[in-house]
Order: sequence, then C-alpha cells, then structure tokens
Amino acid sequence: MNETAEPTASYTVEFTVSKRTVTCDATQFVLTAALAAGIRLPFTCRQGICGTCKSRLISGLYDMKHKGGIRPHEIEQGFFLPCCSKPLSDLAVEK
Amino acid sequence: MTQTQPALSALLARRRLGYTLEAQFYTNETIFRQDLDFIFARHWIQVGVEPDIASPGDCMIVDIGPHAIIVARDDDGGLRAFHNVCRHRGARLLHTAKTNVGNLVCPYHQWTYGLDGSLLFAAHMPEQFDATCHGLRRVHVRSLAGLLFICMAETPPDDFDAMAQTLAPYIMPHDIRGCRVAFEEDIIEHGNWKLTMENNRECYHCNAAHPELTRSIFAEGFGFAPVGAEAEAQAERFHSMVGALHRDWEQGGLPSREIEDLVDRPTGFRTERLPLEDAGESETLDTRVACRKLLGKFSEKRLGALSVWTQPNSWHHFMSDHIVSFSVFPLTPETTLLRTKWLVHADAVEGRDYQCANLTAVWRATNRQDSDLVGKAAAGIRSSGYRPGPYAPDTESLVEKFCAWYVGRLKIGLGT
Ligand code: FES
Ligand SMILES: [Fe+2]
Repeated sequence: MNETAEPTASYTVEFTVSKRTVTCDATQFVLTAALAAGIRLPFTCRQGICGTCKSRLISGLYDMKHKGGIRPHEIEQGFFLPCCSKPLSDLAVEK
Repeated sequence: MTQTQPALSALLARRRLGYTLEAQFYTNETIFRQDLDFIFARHWIQVGVEPDIASPGDCMIVDIGPHAIIVARDDDGGLRAFHNVCRHRGARLLHTAKTNVGNLVCPYHQWTYGLDGSLLFAAHMPEQFDATCHGLRRVHVRSLAGLLFICMAETPPDDFDAMAQTLAPYIMPHDIRGCRVAFEEDIIEHGNWKLTMENNRECYHCNAAHPELTRSIFAEGFGFAPVGAEAEAQAERFHSMVGALHRDWEQGGLPSREIEDLVDRPTGFRTERLPLEDAGESETLDTRVACRKLLGKFSEKRLGALSVWTQPNSWHHFMSDHIVSFSVFPLTPETTLLRTKWLVHADAVEGRDYQCANLTAVWRATNRQDSDLVGKAAAGIRSSGYRPGPYAPDTESLVEKFCAWYVGRLKIGLGT
C-alpha cells in the first residue's frame, strides 16, 4: 500500500425505505452516488435551490452547501438535501 | 319579468345621500366585480400584522376575490408581496395560510423563486429563455406601525405616507412588532362585504346586540347620539371621561384625540383613544386586562381602547394588554370573510399571563352577533320588498361616511 497517495475516504449510505446501500466518496454528492447506483430519488435543480430532493437523515454526518432550498428549522428537524451534501461518515437516509 | 340593469354610473349618480345603497350594490355579480377592480385592486388593503410574518422566509397568503397574494418576509427582514401565481403555467405557489420557506417553489414543475420574487431556477427551459422576465409579479406592501397593507395597483394611492404619519404615533406605543398572534378566527358572513363594513361603522345596534362588548365599550365612541334623559346623562358622563382621560393620556405621551378623514381621500381613516367602562382597562368581560404582561413599555393598565379604522376593509382595537385586529375580504357578492387576530406581548405565556378563552370571549361573541345581523340585513335586502332606508343623522353618520367614500371612489374609478 502506498502511504503518500491517501485514498479518498469512502462511506456507505443506506436508504432505509428502498433497503439499498451504496458507497459514496467524501468528494461525491449523496444524490450523485445514489443515482449512479440506480436508486431513483426525486430531484430537480441539483444545486440546493428547489428543495425537491429534501430527505430525512436517520444517522450520520454530512457537509451541505445549499442555496436556500432548505430552512434552518428543517435542518434542525433532521432534513438535508442529498443533491448538495457530501458524507462525513456513514449515513442512513429515510428514502 | 326582465329588466335591463341600469349601468353602475347611473346607479351611483342617483344614490340618495344619507340612505342605504340600492339592492344591486349588495347582490349583483357585475357590481361585485367592479368593487374588486375599483376598490380592492386599486386601494391600500389591510391584510394582516407584522407578527404574521415575523422571521425571514415567513410567508402568508391572502385571497381577495380572484386575487391570490403572498406576503413575505425576505432574508433581510424586508417586506415583499407577490401574486401567488407561477410564471410558468400559472399554478398557485403557496397553499397554506402561513409557512416558512427558503425559496418559493412551485409544486407543479418546481420553478423556484427567491424571496425577492426573482426566478432562480426553471428546468428544461431553452438557453435563450430569459429568467429575468419571469420573476413573480410584484404587489406593493407597506407597514403602518406593524399593520400590513398591500396594493395591487401599478401606481398605488399616494396618501399612504400621510395616513401613516398621522396614525403611527397613536399605534406605535402598543408595539405590534413586539406582539404575537395568540388566536386567529375566520368567519364567513352571509352578506356583501359592504354590509360587514357598514355594520362595523355604527354602534346603534350595540346596546341590543352586544351584551358582552357593551360591558366595556361606550357606543358614544362610535357616533352614537343619545335620546332621552338617561342616555343623555350617560353621554355626558362619557364626554367628561373623554375630556379628562384624553388630557391624562396625552400628557403621558399617548395621542388620543379623534382624527377623522374617512371620505375625501383614497386611504380614508379614523382614530380615537376611547375610555372603557368600570375598571377601564380592556375589552374583556370584567373590563380588566386579559393579559398580565402589558404591551410595549406600558406600566399603566387603564389606557382605554385605541380605535383605528381604514377604508375600505379594516378596524382595530388597541388596549394596554392586547390588540384585536379585523380585516374584511370579499368572497362572493353575498359572502364575506371576516378575519380576526388577537395579539399579546410576544413573551406572554398562555396559562401563566393570560387565558385564551378570556382573551377572546368578548370579540368572539361580538363577531357571531355581528355576523348574524349582517346575514339578516342581507336576507332582507335581497328580497323584493327592499327599498333604501335612511341613516340616523348622528348615530349613523359614520356609516354614511363609509358609503360616501365608496360611492366617491367608484365614481373616480369609472371616471364619471
Ligand atoms: S434537487 Fe433542488 S435542492 Fe436538491
Ligand atoms: Fe356590532
């Protein structure tokens, strides 16, 4: 194993309704990873504007860069936008 | 029997001063639409209070006849209003009375607008599509010391600021912005919107109809002129109270004297701080404050009730402990929405500082009684035996002023 070229961290994202689990790199948006794995999630803008992809997070940490598609009180209630969020740990999403 | 209806201009021209309007004004579909066009789409309409949309992203919807409006608080705390209609295929954007949103997203195809109304995102539109031409259609919105007004006209009446300058010193001490809506009630009255307003502009009916309200208010404060020795003695007592209390209140920095400019301006209004009976504190069943936590910086409970009216569609009562705010919205020629809001200090806690039932008892009862009277008036007016009847010269002079304003504004609208 080469010590210098550290591989990107990779996490698992579990979708609890469809009962599917995918891997998602730390550099990848959760929606992108899900779509690549053939999971059909709702989305429109893919920029964190429209809120179409809004989902409830059951567990895990993420980094989200949205543009008004979600309110602080919704984030407090456990919602996030998979289209503009990258994982910081393994995630479980209610979808 | 078929009869051609006289044109609105002819009906206006033949209106008999000091008399109720002809039946068509309260029943006819065409005149109703003209009311919406000439009155509601061209004047400043009172639609709510700032605490309805206190935080960034808060939105409320208001429907006025065919006009669907959003009033919103933007991210900088500013007020915005738009037509509640998507610029794509026209779907209604918001459907719940009050919501908090990040952006305004159409539920149909997710066209997404910022809180400034600009179109931020529309999928599948071609490259040459110009989003800047498809922002939400704007509506003017202003706050008068916390009372929210909208105007749908491109160029609204220019007398809003003058009205605000006069009324703000009366209203400001009650600190609407520091309040919370403790209770809200919508009633559908079975009569034309003008019957709802006319009923509000007199207290001829108060004595018989409003046992709860007349525990605290004096009918004399709303134009009622006494007849008979006892009534005259009561009126004299009222007027000496007005004299003494106005002096005290004004010395304490609370403007109190009557200012009435109901007829000759687009944005007609009236205000006066009125004494209340017995303890004199509030419009409650025991005339004492309903809320222990007083509004604004008040420490005195006995501040009477500041009455504020605006043409065409609102009235408000401001006391030391709470505010009751009424807005009227036409629904159909013979149905009207009366929306009432009870405001208390934002920090007042139900159960500790006030009981909701006590806070709302007087005006919930009064609204039901008024609604019943409006329905009865409408039922008589729509029957064939109705003829315009005379207003009592003093006691109903403020109703006449409402009608005079209405007729005048329609004439100006029609250019006759
Ligand atoms: S798809 Fe629009 S916010 Fe995620
Ligand atoms: Fe009444």
